[in-house]
Amino acid sequence: MALISLEHVTKAYDGKPVVDDLSLNVEQGELFVLVGTSGSGKTTTLKMINRLVEPTSGTIKFAGKPLTSYPIRDLRWNLGYVLQQIALFPTMTVAQNIAVIPEMKGWSRQKIRQATDELLTMVDLPPAEYRTRMPSELSGGQQQRIGILRALASRPKVVLMDEPFSALDPISRTQLQDMLLQLHRAMKTTVIFVTHDMAEAMKLGDRIGVMHSGKLLQVDTPEAIATQPANDFVADLFKGAQANQGLQVTLSQLAPFAVKVTARHTVGGNLTLAEALPLLDAHETLQVHTDHGSFVVNTHSVVAYLASAFVDQNTETE
Amino acid sequence: MADLWRTVAERHGELLNALGQHIEISLTALIIAVVIAIPLAVWVQTHSKIAAILLQVTGVLQTIPSLALLGLLIPFVGIGTVPAIIALVVYALLPIFQNTYIGLQDIDPSYEEAADAFGMSRLRKLFKVELPIALPVILSGVRTAMVLIIGTATLAALIGAGGLGTFILLGIDRNDAALTLMGALAAALLAIVFSWLLNLMQKVNWKLSVGAVAIVVFGLVGTQVYNWATAPKETITIAGKLGSEPDILIHMYKDLIQQADPDVQVTLKPNFGQTSFLYNALRTDKINIYPEFSGTVLESLTKPTAAQQKQVAAGKNNYPLAQQLLAKQGLRYLKPMAYNNTYALVVKASFAKRYQLKTISDLAKIAPSIRAGFDLEFIDRQDGYKGIKQKYGLQFKVDSMDPSLRYQALDRGQINLTDGYTTDAQLRQYHLVALKDDKGLFPIYRGAPLMRSRFAEDHPHLVKALNKLANHITEKQMQDMNYAVSVRREKAATVAHRYLIRHGLLKEAR
Repeated sequence: MALISLEHVTKAYDGKPVVDDLSLNVEQGELFVLVGTSGSGKTTTLKMINRLVEPTSGTIKFAGKPLTSYPIRDLRWNLGYVLQQIALFPTMTVAQNIAVIPEMKGWSRQKIRQATDELLTMVDLPPAEYRTRMPSELSGGQQQRIGILRALASRPKVVLMDEPFSALDPISRTQLQDMLLQLHRAMKTTVIFVTHDMAEAMKLGDRIGVMHSGKLLQVDTPEAIATQPANDFVADLFKGAQANQGLQVTLSQLAPFAVKVTARHTVGGNLTLAEALPLLDAHETLQVHTDHGSFVVNTHSVVAYLASAFVDQNTETE
Repeated sequence: MADLWRTVAERHGELLNALGQHIEISLTALIIAVVIAIPLAVWVQTHSKIAAILLQVTGVLQTIPSLALLGLLIPFVGIGTVPAIIALVVYALLPIFQNTYIGLQDIDPSYEEAADAFGMSRLRKLFKVELPIALPVILSGVRTAMVLIIGTATLAALIGAGGLGTFILLGIDRNDAALTLMGALAAALLAIVFSWLLNLMQKVNWKLSVGAVAIVVFGLVGTQVYNWATAPKETITIAGKLGSEPDILIHMYKDLIQQADPDVQVTLKPNFGQTSFLYNALRTDKINIYPEFSGTVLESLTKPTAAQQKQVAAGKNNYPLAQQLLAKQGLRYLKPMAYNNTYALVVKASFAKRYQLKTISDLAKIAPSIRAGFDLEFIDRQDGYKGIKQKYGLQFKVDSMDPSLRYQALDRGQINLTDGYTTDAQLRQYHLVALKDDKGLFPIYRGAPLMRSRFAEDHPHLVKALNKLANHITEKQMQDMNYAVSVRREKAATVAHRYLIRHGLLKEAR
């Protein structure tokens, strides 16, 4: 039985449907990504699941029972929520923010403290140092880590994430994506994740739902979406993502474009382009160490690689 | 500056007392305003139309001149602390309401969304998320309100609520800049200290702040309860208008009453305010006794018919008529003292001696060489300079002059005639004489204790005690006593007591 199921759900504002007759099942333990351009109805769909938005028609079920059959506060305590704006409460410390729902659930102080410390440790923020920090003292990436912990703290059945990483810089975004995958693997929490970034969807999703103009175009695994797109729209979205993914390749891929100069700064071959670009900017040349040997790259190597990738992609579609 | 220090040193007891009253009035008003404005602002968050109306209303309330507001409140709640606090609350509402409303409105909607999505109840969201985020804005509103209240509370003295305004009014009345300055500076310092305290509250843990406020509230309530619980079985409140003369008189009343009935507790409210405040206070039992003048009774407190007015036309004894008209209002006017505190034409003693001046008529022989400085009101009054021209046929070269300047001008010889009052301390201070009103131009102002008839009936022994003052105290004696208090800075209580002992009205060993 699906943990969350949407049955013919429509949400209309002034008669115009934003979400149009949408049906979807999300299974226990999966990381489901809803991807779509802005205005596709993905965020509205997400907000209907925790009843921040009420559907105009159709039924949404949680564990087999309609949402409306649960007391709304109990329901929400079981549906963690992560916002794009992060929205850590600015007057509370990190620990107090994480404890928001456990406190309402009436956990003992000791249990809250223990859970908080465990969670902080899991995301590499030493509790002793970060527990009493205020949100304003954290970087954007650190803030959203706490945002995710706040949603996970009371061990909800499902966590809803509304474009949680789109306001972050590329490096933090990659780190948090990795962290999310790790947490998901460790905690097996069901996650419904909304994004407009196809590359992010491909990286994170066990399954992906592609939305456009309020309709669900395709629901499938990333591989299926890549190999058998349901229509041109899905295919274009996927291709756009690949272009962006250029920056996610590791430096080891740049071996064919090595240059014959010396470099003072040495890095590992598993560094992504996104991570390496700032270093290149600072040092002009980088010595790359891989398992298969060592070579030197500069900005020309990067441009040459991206150009070849771009050509490859275009020849594929012809 | 030296004057200021001397004044502070002399009056530190009164200053502390007034400061206490000022803080009590201000804090009570502030707390009430907070208790009204903040919940209201929270409530209207979801009623934007009502919010717009309330913002308008509180804005309009703020524009009412404070004096007018105090005046408007008197018919409803009388005088004293209550109307003062109401007026201050009215002023404090706008800044607190406005800041709370705006502070809550301006909260980033994503915090609200997060709070909702986490299943917070309305109240939990308010106390855990919204109020803490809006707190700095709310507190800045409270701070604005508090500075406003502490400043405006100086006006409370006008309606007998006491506070630092007493010194300001008294200073203006006695032309004593040091006294006014002391009141004003103390009020300003108080505003600064409280502003600083609020700042501090904002920085420390807010549970601590709430605790501190709770202690203050408890203290205020506790003081009231203690006062109420320990009050003796009967308290008689005697008030006096602004100035040294009423102050001396009410101390005499107190001495005489306590001699007649040692069990009774007498509370004095010196410098209580203007005639109408005292009159209203008496009629609403806020005070029991105050000294009033017969001329004032006929002029301001009663409406004599034209025939009656003619009957007591200027210069004739008007006390019996005043007593008769007051009786119709249910007020008892006891027997009057000897002196007549009325307008007078005043010259230097040396000047009077040189030209052998005893009466106003005597001025006729030197009228052309006289240079007079009169108060604007005196120039215009029928029983002032106009009457002098008509009744005495005198015409001087006249400069209009502020009352506070005229005696100094006379002393320096810039003028050689001015208007004054027969019991003014300055007559003695500058060696001046009041010329006798031989044609009876000026109305008679004879002073006597005024009280409600019912009070008089219930306390015949006190009436008897107060009537001992009848036909005592001459103009010269009153002048001397005023001089002792306002120039020599003796205590009114001392001066009053000395007079009563010296004239056998009070037994020495009391």
